[in-house]
Amino acid sequence: MSENVRNLSARHGLDNRLFDRLAEARSEEKGLDQEVMHQVADEYLIGNANVYGAATFYDFLNPEQSNKKVFVCAGSACMLAGTQPALHHTLEQHFDPSTIGEVYCLGRCYENHAFHYHGLNYSGQAAAQITELKAGSITTIADQYTVGSLGKGLLTALHPSLEQTLKTLIQLLESDPEQLLEEISISGLRGRGGAGFPLAIKLAGVKKENADEKYIVCNADEGDPGAFSDRYLLEQKAHLVLFGMAICGYISGAQDGVLYIRAEYPEAISILQKAIEPFNRIFSYQKRNGDIVNFKLHVVKAQGAYICGEETALLSSLEGLRPEVRTRPPFPSQYGLFGKPTAVNNVETLANVYAILSDGGTTFKAIGTAKSAGTKLLSLDSHFNNPGLYEVDMGTPLSVVINELGGGLKEPIKAFHIGGPLGGLVPLHKIAELTIDFESFASQGFLLGHASILSIPTRFPLLEYLEHLFAFTAHESCGKCFPCRIGSVRGKELLQKARAGNYQIDRELWDDLIDTLEKGSLCALGGGLPLPVKNAMQYFPAELGAYFK
Amino acid sequence: MSLPNLTTTIAFINDKPCAFETGETILQFTRRHWGKDSIPTLCDAPNLEAFGSCRVCSVEVALEKDGPRRTKASCHTLVEPGTFIYTESAAIQKLRKNIIELVLTDHPLDCLTCEVNGNCELQDVAARVGIRKVRYPVGENHLDREKDLSHPYLTSDLSKCILCFRCVRACDEVQGQLVLSVAGRGFDSKIVKGFDQSFFESDCVSCGACAQACPTSAISDVYQSKALVGQDKIRTVCTYCGVGCNLEVSVKNGSILSIQAPWDAEVNQGHTCLKGRYAFSFYKHPERLQYPMIRRNGQLERVSWNEVYDFIAAKLSTIRTEYGPNAIAGISSSRCTNEENYLMQKFIRAVIGTNNIDGCARVCHSPTAIGMQRAFGTGAATNSIEDIKFADCIMVIGANPTEGHPVTGAKLKQFAMKGKTTIVIDPRRTELAKYATHHLQLRPGTNIAVLDMMLYYIIKEGLTKKDFIEARTEGFEAFKDSILNINLDDLEAVSGVPREQVRAAAIAYASTNAAMSFHGLGVTEHYQGTFTVMQIANLAMITGNVGRRGCGVNPLRGQNNVQGMADMGVQPYQGAGYFDVTHPDYNRMYEEFYGVNIPIEIGLTIPQMYNAALDGQLKALWIMGEDLVQSDPNTSKVIKALESLDLLVVQEIFMTETARYADVILPAASFLEKEGTFTNGERRIQRVNKVVEPVGEAKADGQILAEMMNRMGYAQAPYTAKGVLEEIAQIVPFFAGVKWEELGTQGKQWPVAPDGADTKILHVDAFKRGKAQFFFREYIESPEILSFQQDYPYILTTNRVLEHYNAGTMTRRTPNVDIVHEDLLLIHPEDAGRHNIAEADWVCVESARGKVDIKAHLSDAVKPGVLSTTFHFPELLVNLITSDVHDSEANCPEFKVVAVRIRRARRVAERQTRLVV
Repeated sequence: MSENVRNLSARHGLDNRLFDRLAEARSEEKGLDQEVMHQVADEYLIGNANVYGAATFYDFLNPEQSNKKVFVCAGSACMLAGTQPALHHTLEQHFDPSTIGEVYCLGRCYENHAFHYHGLNYSGQAAAQITELKAGSITTIADQYTVGSLGKGLLTALHPSLEQTLKTLIQLLESDPEQLLEEISISGLRGRGGAGFPLAIKLAGVKKENADEKYIVCNADEGDPGAFSDRYLLEQKAHLVLFGMAICGYISGAQDGVLYIRAEYPEAISILQKAIEPFNRIFSYQKRNGDIVNFKLHVVKAQGAYICGEETALLSSLEGLRPEVRTRPPFPSQYGLFGKPTAVNNVETLANVYAILSDGGTTFKAIGTAKSAGTKLLSLDSHFNNPGLYEVDMGTPLSVVINELGGGLKEPIKAFHIGGPLGGLVPLHKIAELTIDFESFASQGFLLGHASILSIPTRFPLLEYLEHLFAFTAHESCGKCFPCRIGSVRGKELLQKARAGNYQIDRELWDDLIDTLEKGSLCALGGGLPLPVKNAMQYFPAELGAYFK
Repeated sequence: MSLPNLTTTIAFINDKPCAFETGETILQFTRRHWGKDSIPTLCDAPNLEAFGSCRVCSVEVALEKDGPRRTKASCHTLVEPGTFIYTESAAIQKLRKNIIELVLTDHPLDCLTCEVNGNCELQDVAARVGIRKVRYPVGENHLDREKDLSHPYLTSDLSKCILCFRCVRACDEVQGQLVLSVAGRGFDSKIVKGFDQSFFESDCVSCGACAQACPTSAISDVYQSKALVGQDKIRTVCTYCGVGCNLEVSVKNGSILSIQAPWDAEVNQGHTCLKGRYAFSFYKHPERLQYPMIRRNGQLERVSWNEVYDFIAAKLSTIRTEYGPNAIAGISSSRCTNEENYLMQKFIRAVIGTNNIDGCARVCHSPTAIGMQRAFGTGAATNSIEDIKFADCIMVIGANPTEGHPVTGAKLKQFAMKGKTTIVIDPRRTELAKYATHHLQLRPGTNIAVLDMMLYYIIKEGLTKKDFIEARTEGFEAFKDSILNINLDDLEAVSGVPREQVRAAAIAYASTNAAMSFHGLGVTEHYQGTFTVMQIANLAMITGNVGRRGCGVNPLRGQNNVQGMADMGVQPYQGAGYFDVTHPDYNRMYEEFYGVNIPIEIGLTIPQMYNAALDGQLKALWIMGEDLVQSDPNTSKVIKALESLDLLVVQEIFMTETARYADVILPAASFLEKEGTFTNGERRIQRVNKVVEPVGEAKADGQILAEMMNRMGYAQAPYTAKGVLEEIAQIVPFFAGVKWEELGTQGKQWPVAPDGADTKILHVDAFKRGKAQFFFREYIESPEILSFQQDYPYILTTNRVLEHYNAGTMTRRTPNVDIVHEDLLLIHPEDAGRHNIAEADWVCVESARGKVDIKAHLSDAVKPGVLSTTFHFPELLVNLITSDVHDSEANCPEFKVVAVRIRRARRVAERQTRLVV
């Protein structure tokens, strides 16, 4: 938001990040320590209010959360699975109820019962061992999920060794960046974060800017409840992601790469902190022609705010500003991190670069459909007989995913919520018409998004699910634009009243609210919420009709 | 030549083709063609960047006629060629209405009792979009938020807040104070001051930008400035500093309700500081002087104007007959208008018959006038404040504009905060220095040493602008030789600034395309003040930084009309328009114009007047609007001098420390009670308009002077500002085209040609004196230090605070005293430790002249060995200890270097009750 604060933060750069300093103010006793905040304000010359304002934005720094010892996952998958009330009850036996907090999605959607304790995540049957966890006699309890693929399996295949990855990277640093960009352009790789923007165009945009500093940012804070593909890649395929970042840096002329990783994925953070070291040791790299290539990777731990998955909010967060969505133009490729040209890319997008550059853009382009090249990672929740992470070629029928990979469902369901909380609500009869690619979903009025597949059981009231979506949006709204800030709360309240009984929502008011959110919101959070709501209204009039007049 | 492609410059607004400019947003584009009310907004404000939060400005955009339409927020969407923009479609009207309805679900619906009822942007927009009722059931809301009434001026009631962020952005983008932000997120987001404190507890500087920006009454002020509808609104110019902010004063029944800053003012663009906006209540303070008084038997007695004029006329005539006209002197005021200053010098020269006329610029910017005249031929800012926008590098030397010139200071701070090259040369780590790229923290009194070093490095590094030097200047070769001969070791040692720091700053200044310098009293109020001004001019000349946009030498004028006072001839050696009084041709010109004999010998400067009074040479002194006792150095000497006079006439608005010694008191009108013109620091002549009638029997200074001139037998037309301005235009060449009616609301920057055209940048093609003159003068230690350093090892320097204006005559009689109520001594913690001084302890500060007790404030803004304080409060009379050293050329006192010693004070109580008159 503030050009001044952005510039003042930029003076300290990535190595003395204002954002990290905000976290220092968190104190269990005082919530946010004013003395520490004041020191930071003085050092960065940004005023007390900016430090306080930014810190209070985040769930993990919120003074009201400072006494929390354990956090129960409130994500959509765990909610739909119905595991959390019992988990909460179990935890209450071991913790003062006032010290039990909530967190939105720990990425354990395949086995649920998820909670966060003492810097690590647990799920499945882990709560049974809470006594040992508290005592410290056990520190890790492994989760389990299936990883499978159908088709080429670029990302889930056995990955190259670190040595091989670095060797390939060094080889490619000898080639002409223009040529590498061309290869990516040929591949047709589109961003996997939801918008499907071609990577080559984004990189070319940053490349052509004339600036002393440029950045590659890996958006590892796309916290769509139900999706755990990023988590998989970060934890299991870190080298592919880092390779992709380094190549993007080389192509576009960026000398720094930042991974902004969800605090809800603590394991991923520690893995990446180690994983960047061998990459950073390569640089500065002197090419055979004498040119020097510099690239430095930085891992930044986020502090719990879904909106930071929106790229401009993420950039502001990295700068230590309040992560409110910025207006565009200017776009990040011209005015991104610290006001410098920046390419913000999704984890999965970056992970694909290795396959493209080792096998060639043409080979990649041949996978999938004409407009959606390559493969797609899918997250299947615990309602499937085979929950887990799957990779399919773009264009694979949804029915194949559900029935063959997922092995069908454990209980009757009425709809799938695909592509995150802002994705479409797909009724059963639409399954046959959908294939896993951007065009198929868009043309049917849905959204591929992160391709997480959540099952809404027949027994689960849709009204309650919509209320959950509104509550999620209200909780995560940055508060900048009027429609999302107020509309998400009013929507939640209307649904709550309707669910409580003796109240029917005025249909015209409801449609006005949905229209206002859709057309008026500044970003895809408020603007995206109407999609599943409208799907629900369209496909489930019988179930929902009684709540409206 | 190909035909222009029309579609690249045309877009359609509601199906009508309109031409747009590259980079224009849809909102700007539509407002330009369809008027400023064509699209409603809430988060947009004239002086803020587009923000995109309210979404009320949404419009529909289609790529082709009848094509599919997308909804876009017009404030941050650029116009694309050939697109079709619909600003009032049914869908847009509905969207706006729905957004406002949501806003109203969390807003108290108590318009009728709200202070901004009838002048509320939310109310206007709600009415416009046609909201009749809120359909949502009552839900979560923030209507119970408590009011903040902690501050003397600013108030907040966040139950009224619509979270448009305008206040936060104003505090950031306009003032640069960063006091406001938002805490929490989503629906619970809340405007906070500091750590969610009150206004009073926060670091707020009370500029009121937030209150003016707020579209509702969520942030307001005690004057309810936004609430005023249908009152008289009178535009005038601020009387405080030399920035010259335009003010819009709301008046009802002859009383001032509030002051706002007009958005369209070129000088201040809707911004001003707490002095301009809030510190106006002095005008009706009970201590205002309301009627003329004559001292009889030691007591001041009320008399009539008739009587007082007769009394003065008789006294002055007697003294003139007995001792000659040179036994009489006048001191004019840069707080008064051009017209009044002109009349004051005319009165002294044409009616009394002496050049003993001087003004308070003597103690502030006289070295600037002389120094810049010698270098360039004109003693005035070469450029305009708006040039900050075009500068690549800014150098601020000896000035603290965020306190002294708040609106210009805010602009400079904005420049520095954005990381643009900023050089601050100052003994104190000022607000600006914190944000600057280079801060050369020199020992007070060594400006020349540092500037010499900068010039040395610029020459050494080959960064001189040879073409400019050759074509536009003279004296360079000799100058260069002198500079190359300086002793860096010595200069580095005396200034205390490492040479590498100086070198880096020099290279930064000389390497940019446009480097703009600003200086203040930290340059002029020194033994080598004039030479320092000339050295700053040298720096600009050697790098070709004169006569273009975004550069030049720009004195920050302390008082509202310092520039104008000098222009009007208030100095003993130059008359109106700066003509040399000793030159026979000019003497003849003045004589013809005034129709009487005019003396041809130079008169006395203010410091010389004191000496003359003490010597018995000067018998009568007429002081208009200046508190010499409080603001001039070496108070005891000043008092003795005043006591030596046979007649002291003081024309004032309050019983100042000086007025206490007067034989005759003439009650004057304040700036709010009269007409005239002020000339700001960028040579802008602006109209001051009468807002209210003078209190009691007070009269405008100009009227008093005109009546007095007639009483003493000189036929001066009855006073009107317009009439005197016409007279000025005939004698001051650079006022030739100035006409009262044509000044409008923005004024004109002199020189104003006979056809009325004004001038933003001086010396564009040639200097006033032909070629600019290089002049070298080596660094000399101040005699104050040379004489007293041994016994008085500390250096005390003096400064100002934002909240008070100079002697505080006006600001101390406003709620500003509730914010700052005393002078403090800045002392480095190391020094404090050495003398066992703790925060808020009284410190006895002693110089060769005397001693005062000042309360300590420990701060690392000063280096060890350096102390700093203000002299806003008469309780302390800090000038009891300041020095008797003056600038060698302009006779300006050296307020900035006082050799002192310190200890913890013992006899606080006694000394505080000193000087009862």
